[in-house]
Amino acid sequence: MAALGAVLAVFLGALLAFLLLRWAGDILNPTPATAPQRVPFLGGYPPEVHAWNRYHVRYYAMALLFLAFDMEMVFMYPWAEVFVREGMVALVEMLMFIVILVIGILYAWRERALEWA
Amino acid sequence: MRAALARLAADSPVPIFVLAGQGAAGRVDGLRLDPRLRLVDSPRAASLLLVAGRLPRSWLRPALRIHAQMPHPRVTVWWPLGYAPRSLERRFAGVVRVAAQEDVAAVLVRLQQALLRRERASEPDLLPDVDPAPWRGVGPYGQGGKGMTGGVPFGRPLATRAADRDGLELDFLPIRVGPFFPPLPVGLVLELRSQGDLLQEARVVEPAPGRPLPGDVDPVFLRALAEPVPLAALERARARHHLRWLAGMLRFHGLHALAGRALALAEAALVGAAAVRALGRLLERTLALGWATRGVGIVPPEQLRGQPLGPVARAAGLAEDARSVDPAYRALGFTPVTHREGDAHARWRQRLAEAAQALELAERAGDRLLAGGEGVVEAPRGRLTAGGATASPLLELLPALLAGQEWGDAMATVVSLDLPPVEPVQGASGVAA
Repeated sequence: MAALGAVLAVFLGALLAFLLLRWAGDILNPTPATAPQRVPFLGGYPPEVHAWNRYHVRYYAMALLFLAFDMEMVFMYPWAEVFVREGMVALVEMLMFIVILVIGILYAWRERALEWA
Repeated sequence: MRAALARLAADSPVPIFVLAGQGAAGRVDGLRLDPRLRLVDSPRAASLLLVAGRLPRSWLRPALRIHAQMPHPRVTVWWPLGYAPRSLERRFAGVVRVAAQEDVAAVLVRLQQALLRRERASEPDLLPDVDPAPWRGVGPYGQGGKGMTGGVPFGRPLATRAADRDGLELDFLPIRVGPFFPPLPVGLVLELRSQGDLLQEARVVEPAPGRPLPGDVDPVFLRALAEPVPLAALERARARHHLRWLAGMLRFHGLHALAGRALALAEAALVGAAAVRALGRLLERTLALGWATRGVGIVPPEQLRGQPLGPVARAAGLAEDARSVDPAYRALGFTPVTHREGDAHARWRQRLAEAAQALELAERAGDRLLAGGEGVVEAPRGRLTAGGATASPLLELLPALLAGQEWGDAMATVVSLDLPPVEPVQGASGVAA
């Protein structure tokens, strides 16, 4: 019950901070942006098209690799508990797991997935 | 609380956005050294718009758009710098004119304080507050249609698609920058097409291809074409030009303190080569500047051979310099400085070395005169001939140079080339504003 109360308090605090910031923004600048003010500054010419556009997310290979190693760390937390009980066997098993992942990263390296653009 | 904030704002440097018209280039740099002012790179961050010099008619529309982008409270100030026409005052209702004998910074500070104390009303919008087209889809209530949103979001269509370098069909974003886009020289308008952060295509819109540029050089170089001038004066003007350019380049890379030092050296009356070399050592040690410029915008020397491009050609390894055949310079033991790489890094190091060399020459020259009158002189941007204005060959190289670069590198390339400011065609815009 106490945990629920804490969560609720944080939620209410965040909501209050959000509303306060909105209110402060409106108080400090009461006039909404006009159509010319909403447009990005390009040195005097208006943009021809809207800036919503689809472009190639070049870091996706790096993002996938990051996710793989991130999940590996998640496995390592419970493994630490097992390692205390099992000792050497657990270490060797974890080493095998990491070696497989490292082979993966070497492959990605060879395929030039780590080069930007 | 608002009053307290307004008081605080009134005591801080005045944020101004400058539209540097004709005849204003050198004067605006002087304003940067004034601690009462802060020149910002976007009208969104400014509360005062300073129109300096003559604003040609074709720039009036862009100027009005920039004015409309400024947040309230705002005021437009016109600093005529000797240009008389009053039509600007007709279009910009309520523009404040700086009288010839007034200190422009003092006028700007006074206006800022009046604005914040609400003694002066903010300037109203001069452009209508409407989107270029209504946001309306195909449905009876304006809903639905093609694409993510249907209709025309905020009055602008979405980008069309084209193949990118990975063979994917992705959006092609046309961006027209200029004539008052701070990293570019005033008046240069580029049409860039980007996919993500990569420029796929670049085109020079203004100036039109082949149109001669009057060039913005110190008058002493123009005088040297016709008559003998003191060599020391010529070399000091060269050093001043390069140091001013260096300040602009450092500002572009976000190194504002170093830019201030370079500008202070440029504006100082008598500065020794040692001070410039000390600044150079500081820049060499600034790792971020090296990372941002090394390998960026490489111009191969074969494209530069025989062109009057001065430091840009010498930074690519070509020892072409009109001074090396001049007897007055030969007597001083002049040999041109060169760099090999031909990238943005080599170009700033080239100009820095030339500035230091120019000051050394000026010190050794005493009151020696340059013969002059030969119809050719090495100006800071390259060889200047008596024929006068020529189209800058760099503008023709620009599209190929920018294509395939990321946005930041492309802008760094344009900055590194030191393009002259572009002035609209004279005859067509005889009436100012």
